[in-house]
Amino acid sequence: MGENLVLDCLGALCPTPIIQLSKAVRTMNPGDHITLKADDPATKSDLIAWARMTGNHVTIISETSFDIEKS
Amino acid sequence: MVTAGAFDGERPLHPAGAAVLLAAFERGWAQPGGLGEASAHSRHLLQAAREEIAGHLGVNPTELEFWGESALISPMALQGMPAFTEGKLIVGATERQEILALAARTKSSATLRVSHSGLIDHDQLLEEVERDSIVAIQSANIETGVCQNLKEISQIVGAMKAELHIDYSASGPLVRLPHYWSTADFPAKSWDGPSGLGVMLINKSHRWANPLATATTRRSPESYSLPLVLAAAASLTGWLADSKNESERLRNLTTMMREVIARTIPDVDIAGSGKSEESLPHILSVSILNISGERLVNALAREGFAVASGSACVASAIEPSHVLQAMGILTHGNIRISLMHGVQESDVKRFLALLPGIISQLRTEAGA
Repeated sequence: MGENLVLDCLGALCPTPIIQLSKAVRTMNPGDHITLKADDPATKSDLIAWARMTGNHVTIISETSFDIEKS
Repeated sequence: MVTAGAFDGERPLHPAGAAVLLAAFERGWAQPGGLGEASAHSRHLLQAAREEIAGHLGVNPTELEFWGESALISPMALQGMPAFTEGKLIVGATERQEILALAARTKSSATLRVSHSGLIDHDQLLEEVERDSIVAIQSANIETGVCQNLKEISQIVGAMKAELHIDYSASGPLVRLPHYWSTADFPAKSWDGPSGLGVMLINKSHRWANPLATATTRRSPESYSLPLVLAAAASLTGWLADSKNESERLRNLTTMMREVIARTIPDVDIAGSGKSEESLPHILSVSILNISGERLVNALAREGFAVASGSACVASAIEPSHVLQAMGILTHGNIRISLMHGVQESDVKRFLALLPGIISQLRTEAGA
């Protein structure tokens, strides 16, 4: 089990949460987790697309909270 | 006249339509329903235009109604079907917002899933459709250019003898009517005709009544402008003649764009399969990871390219594109490229040469 970080992007408009997440994930090791908190209406669907494009794994905890595991 | 770099889907009136428009105001000024000689002349012009357009669309002239409010055609077509009050309205997830809103207000409705390539789930349609259902489908989507398999959809709906409405706003007559249909919506803009005019087709073997309160048997408000009808007929004839060569040329250009963008820009999401039977020849939707759609649109504008966007951060949008969301496509960093007839290959190549550098710079500025 890797390190668990939290990225608070509540109130930030898309694409800021995805850009911030991309930057954070670059510094993580495979298996590390990060929790993204974001409430922009585009974040949830964009996060799923981001995971498909980058090969990382996303679990939806709630409409504004997401767990990401770096692959 | 084609404006270099105008890739945003805004197209001028077809030259054939423009050529007749001014003369049409002089020739067709009288109400076709009047009693005098001028009105009789207008009736003659209207009938000739009706026959010309009906011939191109492959329908009987009596199945065609002109509407001056083209945005209302699809909602009115659906509400004029006898099944609308009690039946189930079935819509695709990528339909226009006003159709989705109409479905949300009906007594019974269902939204059909689409695949990642934007195609409606035909198995779900088979499960949902009943005899009293109305199915509302776009021939193609204006954001992504994805074309539905109308032949198969019409077979499924026809087997149940349900109603099928088809919205041709994006494709115009590039896509033909299937064997089975109830009503159809063709804005004149879909063939580079004038705005402020559209055609509602009503299949003569299906029941339909004007949903607007009226004391007459008219099937439309008849508030259209006759000169616009004449310009629309001339535009359609000219546009179809152009399309014979232009469709293949534009298909080759968008295929090249799809291939070059995928090869030269990392982390891009291009909507649809690009197969000729599943996409319009002139539309391409590209989403680029870690880019603001607004910044991208503005950067391209500075280089002389006008493109549209489905990203929420673009000033005119409040919510991200429901079409891209339904397909699971990235909604940010989105640009919609729509090539018009006459676009120069050199402009497309200049766009493709500039795009990777613009993306790289925007990503660097964003710290991505």
